[in-house]
Amino acid sequence: MRRLLLTAPLAAAALLLTACGTTEPAADDAKASTEAITLTDATGAKVELDGPATKVVGTEWNVVESLVSLGVDPVGVADVKGYKTWDTAVPLKNDPKDIGTRGEPSMDTIASLKPDLIVTTSDLQPGAVKQLREVAPVLQVTSADAADPIGRMLENVDLIARATGTTERAATLKKDFEAKLAEGRKALADAGLDGAEIAFADGYVTSNQVSVRPYTAGSLIGAVNERLGLKNAWKMKGDEAYGLASTDVEGLTGLGKVHFVYIGNDDDPSSDPFGKELAKNSVWTSLPFVKSGDVHRLSDGVWMFGGTGSMEAYADSLVAALTK
Amino acid sequence: MAVTAPTTPARPATVTSRAGAAAVTTALVLLVAALAVVDITQGTAAVGPAEVLKALTGRADPADASVVIASRLPRAAAGLLVGAALGMAGVALQAVSRNVLASPDTLAVNAGSYLALGLAAVTGVSLPLLASSGIAFAGGLAAAAVVLGLSGLGAGTVRLVLAGTALALGLTAVTEGLLLLFPEQTEGLYQWNQGSIGQNGFEGVVQMLPVAVLGLVGLLLIARRVDALALGDDAARGLGVPVRATRITAVVLATLLSAAAVTLAGPIGFVGLCAPALVRPLARRFRGFARVRTAVPAAGLVGAGLVLGADVLLRACVDPDTAVAVPTGVVTSLVGAVFLVVMAARLRDTAQAAAPDRLRIRSRAVFLTTLAVLAVALVALTVAAVLLGDSKLLLGDVAHWVQGRAGQTVSFVLDTRTPRVFAALLAGAALALAGTLVQAVTRNPLAEPAVLGVSGGGALGAVILVTTVPLAGAWSVAGAAFAGSALTAVVVFGLAARGGFQQNRLVLVGVGVASGTTALISLLIVLTDPFNATKALTWLSGSTYGRTLPDVLPLAGVLAVAVAVAAVRHRELDLVSLDEDTPRLLGLDLPRGRLGFLVLSVLLSATAVAAAGTIGFVGLVAPHAARALVGRRHARVLPVALLLGAVLVCTADLLGRTVISPAQLGAGLMTAVIGTPYFLYVLMRGRR
Repeated sequence: MRRLLLTAPLAAAALLLTACGTTEPAADDAKASTEAITLTDATGAKVELDGPATKVVGTEWNVVESLVSLGVDPVGVADVKGYKTWDTAVPLKNDPKDIGTRGEPSMDTIASLKPDLIVTTSDLQPGAVKQLREVAPVLQVTSADAADPIGRMLENVDLIARATGTTERAATLKKDFEAKLAEGRKALADAGLDGAEIAFADGYVTSNQVSVRPYTAGSLIGAVNERLGLKNAWKMKGDEAYGLASTDVEGLTGLGKVHFVYIGNDDDPSSDPFGKELAKNSVWTSLPFVKSGDVHRLSDGVWMFGGTGSMEAYADSLVAALTK
Repeated sequence: MAVTAPTTPARPATVTSRAGAAAVTTALVLLVAALAVVDITQGTAAVGPAEVLKALTGRADPADASVVIASRLPRAAAGLLVGAALGMAGVALQAVSRNVLASPDTLAVNAGSYLALGLAAVTGVSLPLLASSGIAFAGGLAAAAVVLGLSGLGAGTVRLVLAGTALALGLTAVTEGLLLLFPEQTEGLYQWNQGSIGQNGFEGVVQMLPVAVLGLVGLLLIARRVDALALGDDAARGLGVPVRATRITAVVLATLLSAAAVTLAGPIGFVGLCAPALVRPLARRFRGFARVRTAVPAAGLVGAGLVLGADVLLRACVDPDTAVAVPTGVVTSLVGAVFLVVMAARLRDTAQAAAPDRLRIRSRAVFLTTLAVLAVALVALTVAAVLLGDSKLLLGDVAHWVQGRAGQTVSFVLDTRTPRVFAALLAGAALALAGTLVQAVTRNPLAEPAVLGVSGGGALGAVILVTTVPLAGAWSVAGAAFAGSALTAVVVFGLAARGGFQQNRLVLVGVGVASGTTALISLLIVLTDPFNATKALTWLSGSTYGRTLPDVLPLAGVLAVAVAVAAVRHRELDLVSLDEDTPRLLGLDLPRGRLGFLVLSVLLSATAVAAAGTIGFVGLVAPHAARALVGRRHARVLPVALLLGAVLVCTADLLGRTVISPAQLGAGLMTAVIGTPYFLYVLMRGRR
């Protein structure tokens, strides 16, 4: 302790000596504003921009996906590695800076990117959003809404498009999305699957326990399923934002004869219980849809909470799986 | 002969005792069987009693039968196995340590297993169950060895529990750091840590059964020797029992049992503590249960009953799909926390409080030097904390910022970074002051807000408010934290008041309350915000993330008042911390003075929680170190402790923000990593 106490002032002096100078010149004049944009975000806060934002940071994967789809390559993305694993439907086109975890993105890193817009969701804690507002204009979107999942997603795309000056592109995205759903609906109807019951879920394994997460009618995937002319087989109520519920393997016995669909990921060994761990489980093997081979794993990298790009990839993958 | 002691009261005849024991055992078996049957009829599938009956008689339709066979029965079997294993492990550990509070939880066995499994998960290798059981066993055994080694066998109940709890906190902090750092690889590990007995088929039970049987048989084989240990080491040695070998064998077997349970279901809290405690009254009535050979199976039965009972209770109270999300371990933890508190409150406090620090008279020069050095260190650290981060700044930047003419980036960074630095500095100082006050008033060198559960209560209050009112302001969060802290403080101090605060009972009750609040916070998060484990971790681990200046104001206000009060009344603190009689002789109103200081420390810890979550150990480490540096006089201890606390938390926060940037760790995790070894060191020193 004594030695520590003696070295501390030395270290302090050294620190003070080396820390002089500046990393950035003092601010001089503000840059002239052109075609300013004013919007109201999901929290009712006013967002004022000097012009269409180009240096944009996204703290959640769904907004990052929307940005990429709109042709705006974000300069900062939370958990880049995770995004690359779970959202290959809309891959990053640039090499954005990793700003830390989705739950606690780093203020410093975001600030050092000097963004002219930060897009975040209602999942980020209020205190952090308050701080981000000091860093740059913050566009906070409601992450999800079980009352109208698709409407919420499209509204978010619109909001982001207006802030980035890409409303035309957004219109195209929406048109393509609707077209994709209509096309999928027709393909399914042609295959005689109109009104067929579908149960989408994801699951994970810890130790010897299998947890199943049903995507109820209030989830984005559930809503897309309905637009494709399918009927959601889950009867439980999901949470108010994402429309997700929780159950276990025996909870699947109430489903009856449905199409069981899920998404896993090869890079995450615990994400495919339906394909691996449950193979010898007699509850699973006695389920009607398992017996009839009606269990479909869709392609990896479709982010279940993503934007139009992920949902189009989902529709394609689903139609291909069901009509095979 | 007339003067000899009266004849010993007639003992019940051995025959009736044996019959009684048999009757009790039969009753226990029936109870566990009944619980198992009820458990089998509960679940998410529409398979009730009628279908179960049909399935068991082979007349059900195949789907229902498969639910019973592949889901319900394995779950009930896992409950039986886990409960029995933990109960038996508890008996063995209590017998060899001659300590009624020893258990897999209090020896950090579960925490060791949890960390070992977390490390394995991070490497990304998917392990077969038996291998992960081996890893859990190794982790648990290592933790138990450390705790038993540090606390000494058969000596202090309190020291054992405190060493175990402290190590568990430190290990869990590391594991939680892993969870935050590797969210994808460790997905589900947080839920798993709460303990849940659901099973995917019989495979797991079948694999773990031999391990548990091995543990049981081993314990029964050495039962006689373990019995001999109850007589004391020397007496046992006199009987030709190899004391050391017996002890080590028993601990290894008990760890084997708990590792099997942990692998199968995650840590199911406190069963290993409660089951033997429930058997003990039986042993008083029926002497048969007093022997390890019978106590082990009996505690196994009681443990199985506890786990199955918790599962049945949970499924009876909430709807099936919610019940899936609520881990069984949270329920047993809650029950167990109450149990620990009750036991601690009734425990005869045989163990001496750790000897007070040796009275050191330090010269004024030493004090002034220490103060100066700490002040310089604090300034340097503050400068470093402001300059360092994901983006490094220089002093000139700060100068510009202070004058309001800094460039954009620098302003951004400093606007967000300075509140965090303030929060860390003030929270550290507040916790150090709270610790100093509590230690003085209770004359208990191990007392501190986090260990006493006061911080946990504050976090619970804050989490309740934050989950019900999403946009709660800084003052209301601080208010809620204070309400929670005050409530827990009343409970803890109230229960410990009998016989004076100086007793170790205070710390034990506090530890119980602290684990209870942790379980309640987990339960609350699972029920209201199931997909947000980060939220719970942030509150439980202590983090300055996202703090703004207004959030820090309540803390600053309370700290200013508290420092003023403590400065004015430092002589009273000296007297209170001396002994029971001196202040009274001097005509001091002891109860009122104590209450005032306690209220102040509760306020301090509550506002610190509201500003930075639960940060443990600072309230312990800072006053100790201060006394070691400048002696016991509060006029000197107070400023040094304040500075030390601020330095400690600020360092932890700085490291947490920078070491793994852009990701970050909570300051509380860092202080736990630093504080745990110190806590163990203090315990060690008290032993001599």
